[in-house]
Amino acid sequence: MQSIAAKLIRPLHGVGQSFNYWAFQIGGLCILMARIMVNMLPWRWQFDGPETWRNLYRVGVKSFPIVAVTALLTGAIMVIQSGLYIEQYGAYGLLGWGAGYTILREIGPIMIGLMFSGRVGANNTAELGTMKVTDQIDALRALAIDPIGYLVMPRFLAMIIMMFLLVVVGNFTALVGGAITSQLLLGVNMKLFAWSVITYVFLDDLFHGLIKAVAFGFAIAIISCHFGLNTQGGAVGVGRAVNASVVGSAIAIFVLDYIITFASM
Amino acid sequence: MSAEPHIEQPQTTSAAHNLLASVGEPILMIARTVREIFEMFSLTLYYVVRGRKRWPAIFEQMYDVGNRSILFIAVTLGFLGMILIFQAGNQALQITGDLQVLGGLFLQLLLREFAPTIAAMMIATRVATGMAAQIGSMVVTEQVDALQMCAAQPVDYLVVPRFIACTIMMVILTIFAVLVAYVCGAFTAYMAFNLNPRTFIDLGFITWFDPIIGLVKAFAYGMAIPIIACHAGLNVFGGSEGVGRATTQAVVNASLAVVILDFIISGLGYVVLGLL
Repeated sequence: MQSIAAKLIRPLHGVGQSFNYWAFQIGGLCILMARIMVNMLPWRWQFDGPETWRNLYRVGVKSFPIVAVTALLTGAIMVIQSGLYIEQYGAYGLLGWGAGYTILREIGPIMIGLMFSGRVGANNTAELGTMKVTDQIDALRALAIDPIGYLVMPRFLAMIIMMFLLVVVGNFTALVGGAITSQLLLGVNMKLFAWSVITYVFLDDLFHGLIKAVAFGFAIAIISCHFGLNTQGGAVGVGRAVNASVVGSAIAIFVLDYIITFASM
Repeated sequence: MSAEPHIEQPQTTSAAHNLLASVGEPILMIARTVREIFEMFSLTLYYVVRGRKRWPAIFEQMYDVGNRSILFIAVTLGFLGMILIFQAGNQALQITGDLQVLGGLFLQLLLREFAPTIAAMMIATRVATGMAAQIGSMVVTEQVDALQMCAAQPVDYLVVPRFIACTIMMVILTIFAVLVAYVCGAFTAYMAFNLNPRTFIDLGFITWFDPIIGLVKAFAYGMAIPIIACHAGLNVFGGSEGVGRATTQAVVNASLAVVILDFIISGLGYVVLGLL
């Protein structure tokens, strides 16, 4: 009798546990966002210049090579994929439109966002998580230094600014990669490609991608800081926190992308 | 910056040397990492062919890679399908005003490009970080050294089950990803453009080439991701900080490998299709 009752309750136990987990994470994210917003208020404004500068370098300049390589190859892949259709219909003037439109609007921000979340978000969670498990964050609190103002704010600002700038550079790199591929693999002249991009792709498409970039940077910053600051349980816990952080960032990227696409139509 | 003058002097004289060193060091590091990954890959293939199969371990890893990623893949690829149909449908309405071919072309693009690559990026984030963290914490707590003391080769014992499980599950998850993205796309087309799902589901554009290149991509990603993740995990040093560094390295290297393999296989596919 006892065991039957236990077996009946076990699935409910799992449901409740995962509900508690999700409630904790979503609530934690909202609280972190609120605390950052409070820190943004003019009379609470704490700006650590050198720390922000150091984070801008670490976040932006250090991940530049990876973003450049990813963007170059993404542009090349998009040209190859649209080239298959372009050749079918013989409309070589539309190649730049097909590749440029998809890169600027969707694939550029998504791929750069995923690489950014892997490179910067994971790194950030690992760093904050190591600080948490070695009690450095408690030490900061004991010294009356607010971890939000000292640790989170510089990263938050650096990630939003650098995600924006990296998508600007990455979009350009992807178009260059597309132009090179169209010349070498498809035999479509680079000038025709550039003309097609300039004629058919509008400024709106670029801005649409840049809005997404800012939103992704915001989401990655909040999620990676939240999971880093709530790490528990030594080296294993740091690994688990990084895993949760990149998974959450990826989900946030796709959901935000859908919301922005839907809202802008 | 606050260096003494007598330290400053030798640095300025060897500026060209420093420049060359700063260029050469990353290149040497990348070359070393690539060589180690290929060494581990060949060793893994050797043990896959010659070694004893540990089916319980393989099934455990298959559960970890496959079943526990299903929800994640469903959410991300579902949203991707909705986004792509939304953008493509709006563009098609503006240019031609005709949505008849939307579903057929979308399925073709999904099979060729989006489903394998985006699903592999998702697996690279979720599974590669998990593997690197798990193996990395084993290294940090000296469990891998203990394995070697027991004459168990870590590549045989730890990497081979993950390799087999991830390769099988990557193919299955790619098929699942195509289905999820297509169903979500059909739903969006119905809701946003009032396009009948019967019109949307159109297999007329698919040739034998599309599913084959999609599965080849999935197979290649499925082999690359566990090797790269285990390489990052087995090279951990230095406590919890090292585990964090290894997980970052695993996800970055695995995502880059996916993009590079995608470029190579797409380019080869284009050339092969041109020859046929």
